[in-house]
This record gives sequence, structure tokens and C-alpha cells, in this order.
Amino acid sequence: MKRTFLLIVAALVASAAVVMTAGATSSATPGVTAKSILLEGTFPLSGPASGYAPIAPSMAAYFAYANAKGGVNGRKINFKYDDDGYNPATTVQLTHKYVEQDHAFALVGGLGTEPQTAVRQYLNDQKVPQLFVSTGATTFDRDWSTYPWTLGWQPDYEAEGAIYGKYIVKNLPTAKLGVLYQNDDYGNDYLRGLNAGLTQQHATQIVSTQPFDLTVGIAAVQAAVLKLRASGADTFVIFGTPTPTIQAYIIATKIGWTPAHVITNSVAATDTFLTIATKQGSTITNGTLTVNYLLDPSNPIYNKAAGMKLYRQIMAKYDPKGNANDGLNLYGAAKAWNVVQVLKAAGKNLTRAGLMKAARNMNFSAKTKNANPFTLPGVKTFTKGGFQYPISQVTLVRYQNNVFQPLGTLISGRGA
Amino acid sequence: MKPRLGYLGFALLVVAVVVAPSISSHYRTFQLAFVGIYLIALIGLNILTGLTGQISLGHGAFMGVGAYTTTILVVDHGWRDLWTLPVAGLVAGLAGLAFGVPATRFAGPYLALATFAIPLSFIGLLKRFPHFTGGTGGRQLPSLHSQFGIKANSSVWIYWVSWLVALAMLLVAYALVRGRFGRALRSVRDSEIAATANGISTAGIKAIAFGISAFYCGLAGGLFAMAVTFVNPDTFPIDLSILLLVGVVLGGAGSLGGMLFGALFVEFIRITWGPALLDVFSRIHHVDARAAGSSLVVYGVVLLLVLYAAPAGAAGLVRRIVAAASSFKPKRRSAPTVDQT
Repeated sequence: MKRTFLLIVAALVASAAVVMTAGATSSATPGVTAKSILLEGTFPLSGPASGYAPIAPSMAAYFAYANAKGGVNGRKINFKYDDDGYNPATTVQLTHKYVEQDHAFALVGGLGTEPQTAVRQYLNDQKVPQLFVSTGATTFDRDWSTYPWTLGWQPDYEAEGAIYGKYIVKNLPTAKLGVLYQNDDYGNDYLRGLNAGLTQQHATQIVSTQPFDLTVGIAAVQAAVLKLRASGADTFVIFGTPTPTIQAYIIATKIGWTPAHVITNSVAATDTFLTIATKQGSTITNGTLTVNYLLDPSNPIYNKAAGMKLYRQIMAKYDPKGNANDGLNLYGAAKAWNVVQVLKAAGKNLTRAGLMKAARNMNFSAKTKNANPFTLPGVKTFTKGGFQYPISQVTLVRYQNNVFQPLGTLISGRGA
Repeated sequence: MKPRLGYLGFALLVVAVVVAPSISSHYRTFQLAFVGIYLIALIGLNILTGLTGQISLGHGAFMGVGAYTTTILVVDHGWRDLWTLPVAGLVAGLAGLAFGVPATRFAGPYLALATFAIPLSFIGLLKRFPHFTGGTGGRQLPSLHSQFGIKANSSVWIYWVSWLVALAMLLVAYALVRGRFGRALRSVRDSEIAATANGISTAGIKAIAFGISAFYCGLAGGLFAMAVTFVNPDTFPIDLSILLLVGVVLGGAGSLGGMLFGALFVEFIRITWGPALLDVFSRIHHVDARAAGSSLVVYGVVLLLVLYAAPAGAAGLVRRIVAAASSFKPKRRSAPTVDQT
């Protein structure tokens, strides 16, 4: 027994010796050598949000393609990613590893509002770029002055909500809106945007606003949808995450509510989720209105676009296991394209501050002939001064016969 | 264990704890801080599971109670984080006692199933009262930094705080389990009927063990919140409760020293060994180590291998090696006795 304890202690000492690591070599800029740039990020490859897992390998695929084309200013990108299981505690530990042990130059594409919020202060304390986080939470763009080392990328939820408001003012000025929204930061971002887009004049078009609590589950969604039907609304607006959104579609059909229009936020209104709702008996998925800003691999009308051809080549060569028809892969490639562009813009003498400066002053558009090839024609990526919403233009799309068809021109959810 | 040698072992542990940060990078030190935190939680769970024989699949939630207590006191009431730790332990301990009193009506697998409700309802409650807990979005704590005028790297600081608490709580646990109270716990584990016949209130003992173990987990949770600087429902998933139980089993249920192995496992399997093993697996033909949930497969395989090789956990394995090495008498080979420490 006594020896047991001694041995255990000896083992601890031994393991402490094993985990000992050599002192890191310090160079002018961490993560940058004459030939390489180290970028890292956390993604939910397992756990509740593992549906987003394809984003990381498709980013890696694009970086491999960029390296094959010569890299960035003579340097090859070394992109590493780990599974945080959507658990912020794991995100924190991995992020400490990236910064303190791997000495990554920058963190790119990190996924999830809560996991990325958990490491935001730390990365800003350490002055390590936290670029293009994979979440639409408005705070990552809006609060740029508090967190100068952090930047989002995709259209933020609030802006998207505003776009629905503007669309309604213009095209459905007499519609009676019944709004179902998830009672958390995410749902509230959307709702705030919708109200802003409607303007005070049209705010009265909302005849009923029903929150639901994600925890309570399907019962909460059902109660809310029943109230919306009773309110006499003819347009169903859904601001929820995928699971409750699918439930809302099914419940509406079950209780015999057939609203003339359905507007659903883009996170939940994807081909995959709407197909599930249809298969489970919803008859109101057809005609769903949402937004998009990227080329859509599931819609054949984009097959001739140069960006789509390039995307399919990259997927075939560098991520053959990935499903190229899944829009999440295109999202990853589009984001990686943007990372490469800001690295280029940051110049040969690469520093973290230089990278942030490049990211804070982006102008990639058709006009300047350097638009992101994977976005819809005309979508620009723009940041300058106090305007830090990289992608803010979207187009409305309507779900018809299992494909999203674009409606008209681009709309901007933000001033620019 | 003879006290003198137990103290010697403890002294060696102290030496290891003192030496480790000076030979480790800041990141490894940060990881070792988590080992200290998990050690506190495992010592607590071991008192309930290893010594009293009551299986709990819910102690991650008591860590959560402690973590939220610390967070709310620091963020909303301006407390210094260190002073919140005893409160974090007490709140979790009371929660554990409150659950323990009715739960002692269950035995064996029925109790395990009942405890499964703890993390489920805990997550539900967090989301139900968003103004208090921050709901799904969680709450942010201030950045970690050294205090009391000590100038240290934040990882080194949390390492010292965690290990000072861990070592103190290890001594407390040792004092608790070696005497009369420890015997009462073990008698409940080994035979409730015999324990009752000897005048021990089995229900009372179980409820108290529940409370003590939850206190330890709450304390660990408070430190966990300080280290992670963020809490939300996803930070305390059901997996955490299961992982804690796995840590106790792998370390060697019933053995205090074995919990060190358990804590090393809990920390390193998730962050370091798991991904490294996945890398190895991904080199095997036709294996997609990137597939969702593959990390869980790795934990499962490791757990099975360890349980085949060492059914009594790491402490049991060490005992077997020691017994085999020190005993040449063929009849005195490592009997599968249950550890008494």
C-alpha cells in the first residue's frame, strides 16, 4: 500500500518530465517563417453542432490549392484545426495551446458564437488575430473597437433580419406578420433587425410576436405556433435554429395553418433542413423565402460560374471525401479565399498588426475585379473605418421544388 | 497505508507539484492546472462512488453549480474570485445533500439512473433563468491574472491556486476516510445489512457522502470557471459527468492516490491524447477519423483496453506489479483485494 502511493507519486514525477517541453524559439512574428504561416482554428467535429464539421476540411482544401499555386508571398499556409465539440471549455484550452505552445500566427474561422466568445477576451489580451469567426452574431462585427483583434465575416443576424423587414415594406406592405423567434441572443438579434428594417411606419404589420424557449422543446414551439395562427397572421416569420424551425414547419401543417408566405432565417432554411421538414409532413416549405450570399452548389444554374467550377475542382482534388453539393463546403472555401487575400494584402513583412490592418480595410468587389469568386455575382467584401461588417449584401431566394431560386438583385442589410 | 509512508508519498507529490511548472511550458502548466481541478472533483466523486459504492452520473452538474456560483459572485457582486471558492463548494454541497436525501432510497443502477437527471435538469434550469445565468449565451468572467501583487503568468497563477486547493483537499479527504467515518462509508458499500446491524444509518451516510462529494465538485467547478473564464450550458455537458466517473474507475475506485491517474486521464484524453490517437487512426486505410463522433470511439476503446488490462484501475495495476515484484511466494500473488485507503 505504501509502495503503491510512492509508485503513484513517482509516476507523477515521470509524467511531469514527459510533458516537459523545450522552450519555444521566439522570432519577430510568431507562426511566420521564411517559408510558412501557421493558422489554426477550433471546429465542432463532434457534439451538438457537428453538422458544421465540413467547414474546416473545405478551408484546408482551399489552402492546399493556394499552396499549390505558390502560397502567399512565397510562404505556404499551414492550417491546423481541432475538434472542440462545441464545448467552450475545450475551445479555451485548445486556444491556449495555439497561442502559447504552437505559436500560431492567427486563428481563423473558429466556429460558434459561445465558443468564440469564450476566447475573445483572451485573444485580444494576447493580441492574436481572431479572424472571420464562423458565426453571424452581430457582436463580432459591431464591437470591433472593444475587441480590435476580432472580426466576423458573414452577414450578421441583425442585418439579415433588417433585410426581411425591407423586403416586406417593399413587396408585402399589407401582409400581417406572425413572428416566431427563439428566446435568446440569436433570436433577439434577428427580431431587432426585422423591426429596424420594417421602420416604425410598418411595425404595425407585426400582428403577433411569439418567443419560444429552446429548452422547453417542441411543446413551446407548438404553443407559440397556435397563438400565431389565432392572431390572424398571413405571413409566418421564423427566427430559430434548425431543429425548432423544422418542428415549426411540421406543427403549422398539423394544425391546419397555411400562411400565404413563409420567411425563415438562412441558418435554418437550408436545402437539408427544409427537405427534412417536407419529408415529415410539412406542406408549407415550398415558397419559403430566405437569403443567400454564396453560390449554391445544389442549384444547377450556377454550374457555369467560374467560381463554382473552381470550387468543384478544389473539392475533387483536395477534399474528395467531402460532399461538394453541401453548401457548407463552399462556405469554407469562400472563407479561406478571404484569409488568403488579407494575408497577401498584409504584405511580405507579415505581422499580426499588419494582418488586422488588412482585414479592417478590405475591398473585394466586382468593380475592383477582385471579388470573392465563391460569392454571388455582385457581392462585395468591404470593411473600412467604423464599418466592420465584411459581407453585408445578400440576395433573397425562394425555395421551389427543392432548389433555392434567386429573386432579383442584391440587398444590403447595412449602410454600405 | 501506514501514516508515515502516506505522508512521505504526499511530500513527494508536493515536490512534483512544485517542480512541474518550472520544467513545463506555460501551456502545459495550464493543462496541469486542469489536472489539479479534476483531481479535486475526482477525490469528491471517489468518496461517493469508490468508498460508499454509490454510482453517480451527474457530478459534472455539481461542478457547474460551483462554476456558476463563482461567476455570478464575481461578475454581478464584484467578489474577488478566490473568496468565492468556499461558497461555490457550499452551494454545490447543499445541492448535493438536497439530492442525496431522497436519492438514497434508490440503490445500484437505479441510483445511477436517478443521478442522470442532475445534469439534464441543471442545463434546463440554466436556460430557464437567462437573466441570472446568461442562458444559452453564457457569461464571461474577467481575464485570468495573478493577484496579491504576485507577478506571474496567468497559467502559472491558476496552476498554483488549483494545486494548493487540491493538496489541501487531498489531506482533508485523507483525514475523513481513514477514521471512523471512512469505515462507516466502506461498510455501507460492502454490506448495507451488516452496516445497519452495527448501528450505522445507511441513508444518512449516503446522503452525507453525496453532500461531501458535491462540495468537492463545486470547489473544482469554481476553479474551473476561473481558468476557463466563461460558463454556459455547453461547458457542462452530460459527457463531463460521465468522464468524471470514467476518471474514478480508471484511477482505481476507492484509492485516493489513484485519482491522480484519473485526473491526468480526464484532462489529457480530451485535449492531447485523443486527437493524437485520432491522427494515428486516420493513417489506417478506410478510416475517417474526421467523422462526427470519432473521438467518442477513441475514449470507448481506451476505456475498454484499460479495463481489460487493469480491472481495478491504475492504482490496481500498480498494486499488482508491486505485489508480483515483491512476492516470490507463489500462494501470495496479488489477491484481488479492495483497496482500503
